[in-house]
Amino acid sequence: MTTTVLEQPRTGGDPAAVLAERAVLARRLVVDMAASPRGCHLGGSLSVLDILIAALHRASAGDGTEVVLSKGHAAAGLYAALHVSGILPENPAPLYGRAGHPYTGHPGPKVPGVRFPTGSLGHGVPYAAGWALSQRLSGGHGLGIAVAGDGELQEGLVWETCQVAAAQELGTFVLVVDRNGGQNDGLVADISPLPRLAERFAAFGFDVAEVDGHDLAALTALFAEDRTTARRPLAVIADTVKGKGVRAVEGRPGCHYVTIDEARAAQWKRGIR
Amino acid sequence: MTTTDERAVPLTAPAPGAPAAEPTPPLTDDRPVTLSGRDAYRDELTRLAASDDTIVCLEADLGGKGHPFQAAHPERFFNLGIAEGAMVDMAAGLAAGGHKPFVSTFAPFAALRAAESLKLTLGYLAAGVTVVAPYAGVSGAWFGTTHHCLEDLAILRSVPGVTIAAPYGDAEMRAVVREAVRSGRPHYIRTGRNASYASLPLPDGELPLVNWEFRGGPDDVCLVSVGEEGTRLALAARRAAPGTAHAHLVYLDHENLSRAATELARHHCRFVVVEEHRGQGGVAEALALLLPEARVTSVSADRSWPAHGGDHEEVMAALGLDLPAVLAAVEKAGAHVEQAGARAHVRAG
Repeated sequence: MTTTVLEQPRTGGDPAAVLAERAVLARRLVVDMAASPRGCHLGGSLSVLDILIAALHRASAGDGTEVVLSKGHAAAGLYAALHVSGILPENPAPLYGRAGHPYTGHPGPKVPGVRFPTGSLGHGVPYAAGWALSQRLSGGHGLGIAVAGDGELQEGLVWETCQVAAAQELGTFVLVVDRNGGQNDGLVADISPLPRLAERFAAFGFDVAEVDGHDLAALTALFAEDRTTARRPLAVIADTVKGKGVRAVEGRPGCHYVTIDEARAAQWKRGIR
Repeated sequence: MTTTDERAVPLTAPAPGAPAAEPTPPLTDDRPVTLSGRDAYRDELTRLAASDDTIVCLEADLGGKGHPFQAAHPERFFNLGIAEGAMVDMAAGLAAGGHKPFVSTFAPFAALRAAESLKLTLGYLAAGVTVVAPYAGVSGAWFGTTHHCLEDLAILRSVPGVTIAAPYGDAEMRAVVREAVRSGRPHYIRTGRNASYASLPLPDGELPLVNWEFRGGPDDVCLVSVGEEGTRLALAARRAAPGTAHAHLVYLDHENLSRAATELARHHCRFVVVEEHRGQGGVAEALALLLPEARVTSVSADRSWPAHGGDHEEVMAALGLDLPAVLAAVEKAGAHVEQAGARAHVRAG
């Protein structure tokens, strides 16, 4: 399999440019993982990448912010984002899905930078809420950021946690929804639609922000907020495109899980800018 | 039901003008107060939290009003509402942040509704979270099937890394809670509803791997008691069959039970395990696997559903879990049972 030799983003440059460069590198790594013998959840990994890179940028400030990828099937995206963010030293792409290495199809705590096992949908949301509560009890300023899928919102545990987070006034809890519109068997809109999503979160007692989920500057600005004194949790509804960055699959629900060969991977990677 | 509620002892001086009693009653009762398992848990955790500010107490709306932890440490007490799964998962987040979360809800909701959260948090993550589960077995009695839990040991024993305890009485519960705080290991602690028992004597105040209430001789049948009601029944059976040995177990996870089995096998080869749990996945089944050379008999809940009312003992009896069943098993295993005494005890029970 073709591997990507990571060139760490230049330091001292324009922060937005640094993050954009990370996103490009990470997308190429995700494509490499799709070209592994196992394939990977390509569409959701590419849709969530910019969110993860921006959130990990906040976490890298060392203020106690924890990022939990609740939509654990986007593990390839997480591994790539952790690597380009400098948190995961080794390149996970050539090791993805292989025996003896922790880079499973859904992430677990043996991966550097991953505290919680996710993939059974819904659990990452209360993990992050618990982290936020721990920060509050310790007098810390860190956020507990959960990154969920829009299909994942069909899980009751998500809303159970929203109820608790609002009641406990967990202002440092942030729930980001990667709204790419797809899920395993098709479109969210066809299977179990989520109308008036922003209103739902507002009704739960959340602050709500809607953002382009591929706008790194906007995401970074949202995550940079000091929410230490906030009393309402924050829901970030991030509109994204499944398969973002790979023209051949962008916006196609069928790219949920993809296995490709090396030649196709090389072709797709050349197109990632 | 067979409970000892020593809290009923008057703790105050007689009213003015009342006839003087001889000797004069003390203003305070020096006898130890024996709390129910869940009350002992709350009391001990509240005490421990005074010197450990990382301890936090989570409830899912079944902690009751006037929770002592809430009164003593309100900033670290959270009633998260009726949200068992979120509670256990949030405890994982709290533990990752350096806290020692103790979460409590009824056993059926902890072990079954939140089963996946227990698997991931207590098992895979090995998070320092303690789950305290009252209403285990059929201690909910007339509350009905939804409030019973005869499956929790089967579930939790199959999750590697979880320390499982079923303390009998106030002192054992306190010792288990102290150990959970000290060790930082994931714990599942099973207890009943309101029954209160005086624990068996603890050698040196510590919980032994096997607490031998009566060791007996190598040819004697050995009762193995598990949990509050299993121990109550085993003690009652011992009165009817005094020559029977009795080993009481508190820790029931695979690691502890494996070591306990070794000790049991050093002294006996015929065991009657009494536990308020289904036979499937229970302690007897585990001991039978661990001790293939021994004869292990189970006195446990049968395969029926407890769909009727009654008090705790009555619901247990409907499942075939009562003193006559224990005595029958002991006798079948080869022990001498003083039938007259046994019948008298059953009537008095």
